[in-house]
Order: sequence, then C-alpha cells, then structure tokens
Amino acid sequence: MTALGQNLIDALALGSLYALIALGITLVYTVMGMMNFAHGEFIMLAAYALFVFADLPFGAAVGCALLAGIAIALLAERVAFRPVRNADLSAQLVTSLAVAAILQNVVTVAVDARAQSVETPAAISESTSIGAIMVPNLEFVTLGLTAIVLAGLGWLLYRTRTGLAMRAAAENFEMARLLGVRANRVIAIAFAISGALAAVVGVLIVLQSGQVSPTMGLTPVLVGFVAVVIGGFGRMFGAVIGGLLLGALSSLLGVYLPDGLAPFRDAIVFTFPVLILIFRPHGLLGGEIGRARV
Amino acid sequence: MLELREIRVGYGQIEVVHGVDLSVGRGEAIGMIGPNGAGKSSILRSICGLVRPSSGRATFEDRVLTGMAPEQIAQLGLALVPEGRHIFKTLTVAENLRLGVREEAEVGELMEQTLARFPILRERAAQRADRLSGGEQQQLAIARALLGRPRLLILDEPSLGLAPKMIDVIYQLLQELREEGVTMLLVEQNAARTIAFCDRCLVLSTGKVRTEGSREELQRNPDVLRAYLGGRQP
Amino acid sequence: MSRVRFRTPQSAAASLLIPLLLITIAVLLGANGTPSFQDTVTTILCNLIVVIGLQVFVGNSGVYSFGQLGFATAGAYVAAFLTLPAAIALLQTPGLPHFIADAHLGALPSTLIAAAISGLLAIVIGLPLMRTSTLAIPISTFAFLIVIYNVVANWDRVTGGNSGLISIPATTGVESAGLWAGAAVVLALAYKWSASGYRLQATREDEVAARSIGIGVMRERLLAFGISGVLCGVGGALAVHQSGVLSPVTFYFGATVTTMTMLVVGGARSVFGAVIGALAIAAVNELLRGVENGASLFGAVSIGEAPGLAAIGLGLILLATMIAMPNGLSGGREAGELPWLQRLGLSAPAPPAAGAVAESRPVGERPTDGALRAEGISLAFAGLRVLKQVDLTLAPAEALGLIGPNGAGKTTLVNVLSGFQSPDSGTVSLDGVDVTGRSPNRLAHDGLGRTFQAALPFPDLSGLESVAVGAMGMGVSRRRAVAVAADVLGRLDLLEQATLPAGTLPPGRRRLLGIARALAIGPRYLLLDEPAAGLNEAECEELVAILRNVLSDFGCGILLIEHDMNIVMPLCSRVQVLDDGETIRIGTPQEVQADPAVVESYLGSSFLAAVDA
Repeated sequence: MTALGQNLIDALALGSLYALIALGITLVYTVMGMMNFAHGEFIMLAAYALFVFADLPFGAAVGCALLAGIAIALLAERVAFRPVRNADLSAQLVTSLAVAAILQNVVTVAVDARAQSVETPAAISESTSIGAIMVPNLEFVTLGLTAIVLAGLGWLLYRTRTGLAMRAAAENFEMARLLGVRANRVIAIAFAISGALAAVVGVLIVLQSGQVSPTMGLTPVLVGFVAVVIGGFGRMFGAVIGGLLLGALSSLLGVYLPDGLAPFRDAIVFTFPVLILIFRPHGLLGGEIGRARV
Repeated sequence: MLELREIRVGYGQIEVVHGVDLSVGRGEAIGMIGPNGAGKSSILRSICGLVRPSSGRATFEDRVLTGMAPEQIAQLGLALVPEGRHIFKTLTVAENLRLGVREEAEVGELMEQTLARFPILRERAAQRADRLSGGEQQQLAIARALLGRPRLLILDEPSLGLAPKMIDVIYQLLQELREEGVTMLLVEQNAARTIAFCDRCLVLSTGKVRTEGSREELQRNPDVLRAYLGGRQP
Repeated sequence: MSRVRFRTPQSAAASLLIPLLLITIAVLLGANGTPSFQDTVTTILCNLIVVIGLQVFVGNSGVYSFGQLGFATAGAYVAAFLTLPAAIALLQTPGLPHFIADAHLGALPSTLIAAAISGLLAIVIGLPLMRTSTLAIPISTFAFLIVIYNVVANWDRVTGGNSGLISIPATTGVESAGLWAGAAVVLALAYKWSASGYRLQATREDEVAARSIGIGVMRERLLAFGISGVLCGVGGALAVHQSGVLSPVTFYFGATVTTMTMLVVGGARSVFGAVIGALAIAAVNELLRGVENGASLFGAVSIGEAPGLAAIGLGLILLATMIAMPNGLSGGREAGELPWLQRLGLSAPAPPAAGAVAESRPVGERPTDGALRAEGISLAFAGLRVLKQVDLTLAPAEALGLIGPNGAGKTTLVNVLSGFQSPDSGTVSLDGVDVTGRSPNRLAHDGLGRTFQAALPFPDLSGLESVAVGAMGMGVSRRRAVAVAADVLGRLDLLEQATLPAGTLPPGRRRLLGIARALAIGPRYLLLDEPAAGLNEAECEELVAILRNVLSDFGCGILLIEHDMNIVMPLCSRVQVLDDGETIRIGTPQEVQADPAVVESYLGSSFLAAVDA
C-alpha cells in the first residue's frame, strides 16, 4: 500500500513538472498560434544560469534563472518570432527550430558541449516522511511550486485586466485588437510568462539531476509538445491534463516495466500519444488549430 | 468626422472595392446597403485597420487611419460591432463588457450606466457569453462597444440572424443612441429599415457606389431594387 | 497529332541535367583533390541524398517532418550490421541474430536492403502518422526521431548502445556517392512529375480544393513519406560506409537541423533547391568549420578553437531565410523553370492547338438520366437552425441559381450537397443513389464537382497542370490526364496562356481555370460558389459564355450561388431563393425578380409600398 502511495506521489510530481512545460508552450500557442520548439532552450538557458551563478546563494541564483528565462523569451520574440508572426504554421515551427539550434550552440560554444555539474542544496536530496511514505523533498518542492504557479496563473488570467485581455486574445485575436487590446503587449507578456515557467522547470530539473548540458532541453520540449497535443491544442486546462497524464504514464512505467524493457521507457511513453492522435486528431479535449478571425 | 477617399480594397489579386468615397459628419447616421459581395464589410474592415486598402485614404478627424493598427484606431474612438458579433464565448458577459471599457477611471460608473440600459445583461452578467440568444448577444456586442464611449459607432449587419421582434428592439436602441448624439455608420442588407433609419444611405453593388441619397430620395428609387436583383426593367 | 506537354523538352532536360551536372562537378573535384577533401565531398553527397529524401516529402506535401533522419539512422544501422565482419559484429553487437551478424555483404546489396527496410519502416510509421492533422505531423515525427534514438541508444546488445559501432568497412567512394545522388535526383523528379506527385502538390496548394477533386490526402502523403524513407535510408547507409563509425547521435538533432537548413535555404519545393541548398550550406559549413579550427583569416588574424560556431552560423542562416526568403534560393523552382530559360523563350511549351488532341471526353461520362436531389435537409449549428427542411433538384444540362440574403444558408446547403458538412436530417441523392454524408473526394468520383468562393487554380502550377490534376484526382494516368485537360481547355477556349504559371494570370482567367479544373473530373453536376466575386463586367460576360458552353457541350447541371444578378439572370433557367434557411420561391428569373416575397426578403416590406413595379 505504501508502495502504491509512493508511486502515486512520484507520478503526480513528474506529471506536475510536465504540466508546467506544457503550460509554457500552450501560453505562446494561444496568442500566436505557434508551437515553440525553442521552449526547451529557454529551459536550458535558465538552468545554465544556476551554473553560471553557482557562487551566489541558491535563492539568488534561482532569481537569476527566472530573469534569464524571461529575458531570453522576450528577446526571441522580438528578434525572431515577430517577423514571422503572420507566416503559416510550418514556417513558424521551422523558425523556432532555428532559434533552438542557435541557442543550443551558443551555450555549447560559450560553456562546453559536455554536461556540467551544479551544486544543489543538500536538503533537496533528502526525503521527508508522511506517515509510512517517504517523499523526496524535491517532490514536495515540485508539487508546491506547481500549485503556486497554477494559482498565480489562474489569478493573473481570471482576476486581472491583463489576464482578461490575454484570454480574449487567445479566443479571437482580431476582435481583441478591435477593442483596443495591444497585440504586441499581449504577445510579449505571454512570452515572458512562458519564459518564467521555463525557468521554474529548468531549476527543478537541475535540482533533480544535479547537472546541466546544452541538449537538456530536447526531451522536455518534446514532452511539452506531446502533452499539448494530447490535451488538445490551445487549452490551458488541456495542457495540464496532458502533462499529468504523460508524467503519470512515464512514472508508473518506470516502476512497473519489466527490467528488460526499462531502458525503453521513453520510447514507449512517446508512442502512446500517437495512438491518441489517431483516434482523436484534435487531442483528448479537442482544440482549434489556428486562431479565430473576425 | 470620418472621410474616405477613393478607397480600394483587395484580397490577394482580387479587388473587391473599386474606389469608394464616403463621409460621415458628427451626429449623423449614415447607412451602406447593397447585396452581399458588394464590398460593404471590406470597407468597414479597412476603416478599422483589419485590412489595408490597396489605395485611397481614410481619415478620422484629420488623423490618417490608413496604416494604423486596429488597437490604435480603437483608441481614437472608433468602435466596430462586427458582422456575426464576435463576442468572446469563453468569457462571461461581465468580462466581455469589461473589455470594452477604455477609460479605467470610470469603470464603475460606465458599467452601472450600461447595465441600467441593458437589463437583460445585468441579469446574465455572470453567465458565459455563449449562453445568450442571438438578440442578447447583439445587445452585448453593442453594449461592449458603447462602453468605450466611442466617437463613431460602426455596425456591420446588426440585424443578421435575428428574429423580427429582436430587430425592432435593436433599432429602438439605435434610435435612442442617435437621439443622444452618437455618430453612426451602419451596414445592412435589409434596405428598407436602413433607409428609413439613416439620414443618408449609400447603395453599393459589386464594389462601387451605385447611388446615394437621403431617406426621401431613396425610398422611391428603383435603382435600389436593381442593385439587389439586377435586371433592366423593360 | 501533337503530344501535349506540361513543359518543353528543353525545360525538362534543364531541370534534370543541371542538378546532375552539379553533382558531377562535385565528384570530379573530389576525385582530384586531397584524400581529406575527397572524404568531405563524399560526405556532402551522402547528405545530399538525405536532403533530397526530405524534399520528396516536405517539399511536395508542404508538411514538415522532423523525423526523417530516424530513417537514416535505421538505414545506417541495417547496412552496418550487414557489412560488419562476423568477428567484429560479435564483439560490438552480441545480441544481433546470427544470420545478420554473419552476413558480410558488399556495398550495393547492403545499401539496397537498408533502403528497403527504411522504406518499410516509413510506411509502417507513416500509416498512423499521416492520419493525424497537419500540425500534429511535425510533432509526432519529432517524437519518432526521439523514440528511434532512445531505442538505438538503449538496446546495447544489438546496436552497441551509446558507444555505437566502429570498424565499418569504408566502401563508399566519391564516385559511388555521386551515382547514388544522381539516382536520387532522378527518382525525386520522376515522382514530382508523376500523377501521384501532382496530387500531393495539389494538397499542399489547397487541401480543401484537392479533396473536392477526388484526391486522397492521406494516401498521397504516405507514398511520399515512404519514398522519403527509402532515400534517407540510402543516405544513411552510404554515409556510414564512408566514415566507418556510427552512433545514435550521428543522425539526430544536429543533423536534422543541418539537413532542414539545407532544404529550406535551397528552396523546399524543388529538387534543384535541395541540391543547391545542400551544396551551398555544405560549403558554408566547411568555411565556418575552417574558421572554428583556428584557421587564419586573411593570413593576419587567427581565431581560436570554438566548436559550435558553425552550427550557430547555420542556425542564423536558417532564421534569416525563414524571415526574408521563405522560398529559398531557388524560389521553389526547378532549374528548367528559372527566368533565364524564360528569357530564351523556352520554358513554357506552346499551348496545344484546339482539336490537336484526339477527342477524349472527360472521364466519367454517364448516361443522362437522373438528377441531383436534396430532400428535407435540416441543419442546426450552435443552436441556430441554419437550414430548415430544404429541398432542391438539379437536372443535367440545366442551370439553377441559388440566391438569397446573407446568412440565408446557401453556402451551408452547398456544403451539405458536396459532402463538406453532414445534415442533421434529410437526404442527398445523386442519380437515384443516396449519397448523404459521403466524403467530398468520394463524391467527386461519383460525378459531383464543386468550386469554392474565389475558386483558384493552384498558383504554382500552370493552368494546364492544375486542370490535369483534376483528372488525376480520378486516378487516370498522367498522359490521359494531360489529354483530358487539353480537351477541356480547348472546349472552353482557354488554351491561350494555359502553360504559364497560373499565379501570373489575371484574376478572371484564373477563376475560369478553377472552373475548368472542376470540369476535368468529368462531373455530371457542378456546384459553383460565387464564381463571379471580384470580376469586372467583361470578365463576367466571359464567365456567362463559358458556363453556357458547359451546359450545352459538357451536359453538366450547374448550381450557382451568386449575388451578382448579371450572371444569374441570363444563365439560369430556374432560380431558387433561400431566406433564413427556407426556400421562399422557385421560379424563372423574371418571376423571382417580381415576386413580392423575394423583394421583401432583401429590402424589407415597407419598400414594396414605395416602389411601383
């Protein structure tokens, strides 16, 4: 029983991490209609901030990571994505691929192609007991952070004027503009939040693995894409569901897969969404590809 | 107030508006009627910045509109109630209205006034907007536009898809607004009503102004019918 | 009798020979250079094969796949297994079945088998993936890439895991790479110019219109995906036999970005683009690598080691191309389609003379009984009743006008008739057969054609090609399709300029070509949605003349949604008026014009009182 409880919490923690990734990608998708390949590199760059600022107290380094995530997201939007805002979906996707490749290699050149280790606070690697279950502290942090993020995002979107503008723009960008909502501002805010979310994910990944590498963003961005696609494009709620499902699947497979198949866990996890897509081409919750027009 | 000169609008290589002149004076209610495909919506879209005219100039109180972004034009005081209303279905009625407010300082007062004028919206304020009937949605769209205290209210086919009784209600509302001095530009397919309502109307077909005139001039003009149903009377 | 062609022999020859010439030059340079230069050229040629593989799918379908290098990986590993000497195979891949490990094949057989297996893998993977939506394909192919990587990296006993394989016989020389690259060019062009290739390109240009002329989108994408898999497999197999080493990251993310950059910069739509993109980017890559490795720049300054700079440079080039030059260096055109050939007057063949082709009726002429009938069609959308028990009958060789105020439901009704929407109740029958709910491309095969508002031919193809694609949608051979197209255009008197790219023609002419394309499927009933939108008076007259021709000569029934009465009145024997989802009048144009109910629906009741008849 305790094993099951333990596994469930593990699954929830991993699912939360994936949900955060999916949320970051969906935010940008809802205002721009673009799936951002470079989101993985936002995660990676924020994580590298922890490496670069390792000498600072951990809290300060995390703050730097947040700033880094936001800054790179805003920069990428202004320089690379704004010029292709009205191009078709494929063109935007390839553009984000180019940005991803550039960012990955900038880090390779500036630091190193090999993984670098990052010291993390000792408390993170320990576990705390709840009743009969030993829960790694990192999972508490993950769950806690996710809850805070969801609450914060919910507050922003549903209780502020800016959030209202963003939700309106996500539903019908043109109509929102006709009411005076400023396109550039809404998109920039979406990217900034997306960058912040990427930073949170980056920090959590570093806390888990203790290292950073230039290619660390590849799997997370795939996870995020797949979660978004499972949940249904453009739905924040769908992204969270997709992320939780994928994380739960991955985590439970990790526990229950026979030893021989264990190394192939990722392969199995990523074939699963294809099955969903075959039967529900628009994702579990259904979603619109592209944006509504006046 | 609003002045269009030689406006041409095209999509890709196809030109749908072939040089149209239009002017709206302060306090006037001007109508544009004509069959579908005449280019009426395209003209409105070009005024509001959703599409760029291929040539010609639009000015609003001496500010050139051509080339401005839609949100900037909205800030100038032009409010469009588009064809099909386009209310935000995933937002509540109150949230839809909130988006219309431009002057933050007066939010409370404006909302109060508006809800007083549109009691049905007050009743449904917390509901999601997609629960409203067609007529209620139209009221919501107009209310939302009014919350911005627009200098010029532009309506694209407000009677589309509404039951006749509802159309009466809407036009009653428009009449009240008109009496309060709101300047209006109205596009409709239903000619008679529009001609009766507006001070002046332009009759468009296939991208050109076919005829225009005041209420009295148009009500007896067979050209209006021809614009819709074609044919040269024997 | 002259043979009808899409392109002049000169243009076709140029498109084929110029890329081959470029490859030959590369081979010659490589063969006469230093051994390390030779290796570089060989690698470039192997990359070229992969890029051509990418082009076959991405360029023709317009859909991006990020997983094609997964097939290169598959091909590379298969080829490696088959050529590794048994003893070495035992060491590195103990888990490999004996019959594979013991196999010690030559270069050619191993490459062919690798190609076959990659192709098979592509079909297997493609079957589920091509059924997903256009945006889901890039993501699911990306997932495939990572899955392959994951499997290969973790299946230590069979693939050597992360350390990969070494001591693979180096059998690929610059000549053999050049030969395979040449073969790839020929295959890619042959596919692009085949009926299948045309059908796929039609889906790229206008997916909806393609469905309406009978093209099976998934089927065509799958075929291209398979061919692409074969080519990528060949490229991978050859590459691995040049470098002698292989690991899971050889054809992974970095290679995906590089080959994608090559394709995009060169121009994804053409094989020529793939070739010049590959060669140009390879040259830039070498230059940047030279700078990276501390080479002296202009002899004066030397730059220290900086791995990854080349990749940044490439990424920037890709970014710049997407922003400024989305169609790439070639503009998406084959070598024989570029302006230089046009100036020589050799690029577009003379249009076929009318009657120069042996009479070939459009495919699918059927006996002349029956009608297109809709009965009791009702449809509600978002709580609104859009159509309420609407009936409609269209007989062959008659023109029926469908008019009514905005929002009356006309386009919805046509959507129901043509299979794009299903009615909530009611039936649609074609010549007595119930076809309610059939898909648009099935209906096209049944004899129902449809054009859309602003029906336009495929802009990048010539008028002749666009119309021929209509016939190809019916599954006929390319040669027959071209003959049908020439015939249709001849009977409509549209042959002039038919061989020029449709995007360069005036809008009126393009509209007529769109209609011609729908006619090429040999329909008995043709539904036209606002064909006169945006046309001027002269063009409208031309349109009316052509439609009269269609009625008499082709024997089609025409249903016309139009707002422009100058089209409807002279052409239609009957007019049906819809208002608010219901039929309010059916009659001759004159009757309808004078009918008070009709006038009221447009103008409102008070108008009648004011205007005298």
